[in-house]
Amino acid sequence: MRTLTQPGAPLQPRRLLEWAAPATDLRLCLAGGQDLLCGLVAALAERGLRHAAVQVIAAEIARMAYLTGAEDPSGARVATYGPPTWLDGPVTLIGANGILGPGPDGDSLLHCHAVVVDAAGRLHGGHLPPGDVLLASGGAVALATPLREAAFAAAYDSETNYPLFQPQRLTA
Amino acid sequence: MSIAASFEAGSLGRIAVVRIRPNEDLVTAVEAACREHRLAHAIVRSAVGSLVDAVLEAGDRTLEVAGPGIEILTLAGEVRSDKVGVPEADLRGTIADGKAQVYGGRFRRGANPICITLELVLQEWLPAVGASRET
Repeated sequence: MRTLTQPGAPLQPRRLLEWAAPATDLRLCLAGGQDLLCGLVAALAERGLRHAAVQVIAAEIARMAYLTGAEDPSGARVATYGPPTWLDGPVTLIGANGILGPGPDGDSLLHCHAVVVDAAGRLHGGHLPPGDVLLASGGAVALATPLREAAFAAAYDSETNYPLFQPQRLTA
Repeated sequence: MSIAASFEAGSLGRIAVVRIRPNEDLVTAVEAACREHRLAHAIVRSAVGSLVDAVLEAGDRTLEVAGPGIEILTLAGEVRSDKVGVPEADLRGTIADGKAQVYGGRFRRGANPICITLELVLQEWLPAVGASRET
């Protein structure tokens, strides 16, 4: 198994785990004509949710971009994102996982990766940039698991030289 | 006609908010986190992250995908502990490499090092008290 030397010293512990309380899931349907991630963040915020685990169960997409990983030529990090790949619809989302929490600037961030099928039946997948996934008229369906008592929040990670979601205890 | 199936009654319990740091193996790190926090049985609720390289099993085939920066697109699966409490993870999903090629399969133990991070949410599976697996 190949490992990579990160820009910063390894941090401990190597596995972080915080316990969140059992929660009632929320199923939500998003109407077409809006951005998938921005729509999910706004809809969940309306219900007072800023921390959640999200599964996108279905989405019909009119136009979208996604990013895949690449080596970082600057050497500042071991990997970065390459240029976006744009797909014209109809694009069918067949699975996506997301984590919702406060991003580096404190605004809500939905970190989401998805696998989709393009109009020609080809599989694609990667990181979804917020604002670049326009839903078609079929909209989207998602299942959100609220995270209470503990959740993810972005913080600078000196090992990888990235701001990353870290498990944190939440204060009431 | 008899139907070959077994059932276990239970419910979902606490939610584990997990991060795995770089160069840790996906499968063994999830098992270690469960062991360290006495999480006996769990299912994956959501996961976002990346791998240095990936090795997936699909039927009799082994898919070796070179990174770095392989994106984990979807992750599903469960952790089950044996009678002496040793957790074992069965994790399956889809990935994309740097050329945007998508692959799917079961993540091979000891062969999938985390690249930047894995953000993972597990939910505890609590077998009903006194429940034994019915056949």
